[in-house]
Amino acid sequence: MAGGKELTVITYRGIFQEVEEARGMYSDGYRDQSAVVALDGGDMKEMGIEAGRPVHLETASGDVVVAAKLSEEAHPGVAFMPASPWSAQLLSGEVGEDGFLELKMFTVRASSGEGRVTSIEEIEAVIRAP
Amino acid sequence: MAFCTGCSLLCDDIVVDLDGGKIGKTMNLCRKGHAHYSSIGSGRLTPCVDGSEVGVEDAMMAAAEVLAGADNPLLFGWGASTLEAQRAGVDLAKKLGGAIDDPSSYSQGLITEKIIAGDLPTCTLDDVRNFADVSIYWGDDPSSSHPRHMSRFSYFPRGEKRQRGYEEDREAIVIDVRKSPTAQIAADGFFKITPGGDGAFIEALVASLAGKIPKVEDKKRMLNLGTKLRKAKFGAIFTGQGLAHSLRGDLSGFVSLVGKLNEITRFSVIPTLGDYNTRGFNQTLFDETGHVNSVSFKDGVRHGREFSIARLLDSCDAVMVMGSDPAAALPAAIAKKLERAAMVAVGSHRNMTTDFAKVSVPMAVAGIEAGGSCLRTDGVRVEFDGLVRSDHLSDVDIIKRIMEAV
Repeated sequence: MAGGKELTVITYRGIFQEVEEARGMYSDGYRDQSAVVALDGGDMKEMGIEAGRPVHLETASGDVVVAAKLSEEAHPGVAFMPASPWSAQLLSGEVGEDGFLELKMFTVRASSGEGRVTSIEEIEAVIRAP
Repeated sequence: MAFCTGCSLLCDDIVVDLDGGKIGKTMNLCRKGHAHYSSIGSGRLTPCVDGSEVGVEDAMMAAAEVLAGADNPLLFGWGASTLEAQRAGVDLAKKLGGAIDDPSSYSQGLITEKIIAGDLPTCTLDDVRNFADVSIYWGDDPSSSHPRHMSRFSYFPRGEKRQRGYEEDREAIVIDVRKSPTAQIAADGFFKITPGGDGAFIEALVASLAGKIPKVEDKKRMLNLGTKLRKAKFGAIFTGQGLAHSLRGDLSGFVSLVGKLNEITRFSVIPTLGDYNTRGFNQTLFDETGHVNSVSFKDGVRHGREFSIARLLDSCDAVMVMGSDPAAALPAAIAKKLERAAMVAVGSHRNMTTDFAKVSVPMAVAGIEAGGSCLRTDGVRVEFDGLVRSDHLSDVDIIKRIMEAV
């Protein structure tokens, strides 16, 4: 990982995401509710990112482009992201010494993204790739 | 009245008008439940083998072939299955000499196991509605995940000893890393903690209960919380994934806190579980083996984290996923292992896991298209009938058919 700002990401489940998932995860609605990251206003300013614009998130495990969302509360250095195939691309598959996967909290490099939000089909293609 | 299997609250007051044998107007469904009911008309899984559509019988025979040819199969999922299917699934795992696991192995399994084993006190959600004056939501956001939790049981309703509801009779306390929708309802009862700070919060609360000065920034507020909990007549702690992941495998501090609370007054723990019958699977497997997840039936009954999906995918040679989508929820490295595995997916709707499966078998949506029984998140048993006719087989019929063929 190089460049960008280091953030601690916490995943969560939102009601609108749950609704869209029930309707079908291959829909635009599910992507709109899942492929987002809620950022602290100061962090957004520092990274030159505006609400609704793409953000590139990268870890040693993978990378995705999601849409930026401005948090109502301040939480510098911390970002919140719905638990979804997008956040799953950033998670380490390593099992800790205690036998647990870390699924709720991880560190990313975040930077202003280019282009559009990663599609679920692109995520599936990455998983299928040799 | 009909049931909703959209989440583990299993709301039993759903009014459904059947219009020509189809779901018509509904009442009392939450936003999530409405989407669950609406979903039966779209995105359904089709029976496939190696990407080609086949008949359901052929798909089940192909599934049996995959499992019968495996030396170390893993049967995973089960939270969105009826008790009858779960029971058949355990029998199938025993017959195959395989392993069986569910998502609780990477979420709230340890908490549920302690409740089932009697190491943590619990009660029913009906007890909460009737008696609870303090509800603690810990790493838990039921307003998002279980939208009627607070309105039916834990905060807003009147109950036998709580006739004045949330205005005067109940207090909501939320401990979380973010101001979730549930935290917004709790308002002054919201305690924001740092990510991974649950253990430190537990220590501070234990100190506060003992009348000691807690080692936190806002000592006065923590002492006030301790006083509030000491004065509670009937408290409930609802645990979510946030707490489970923060404490990981070490629940000793949490168990100790609950023990100390119960030396003073009465506090019960109820996990807020995801799929509608997660509790049922944990109970079913516990009754059979003494463990709630991650069990292997190869060479007797063995239990351990080496039999959880996170670890077993390296050594198993076939996977059956039942009503779940681990490929979407787990790290990409694990999804890759699933994609490369000889995988059978049984489910009602298309998802990433079914996309990666060698064999997919569609099933009916329990509670709408098929009947059965299950356990609510608090362990209360619920039985329901199907509401509409369906061409899809029930989950238990599919598992039994596969078991006959292996």
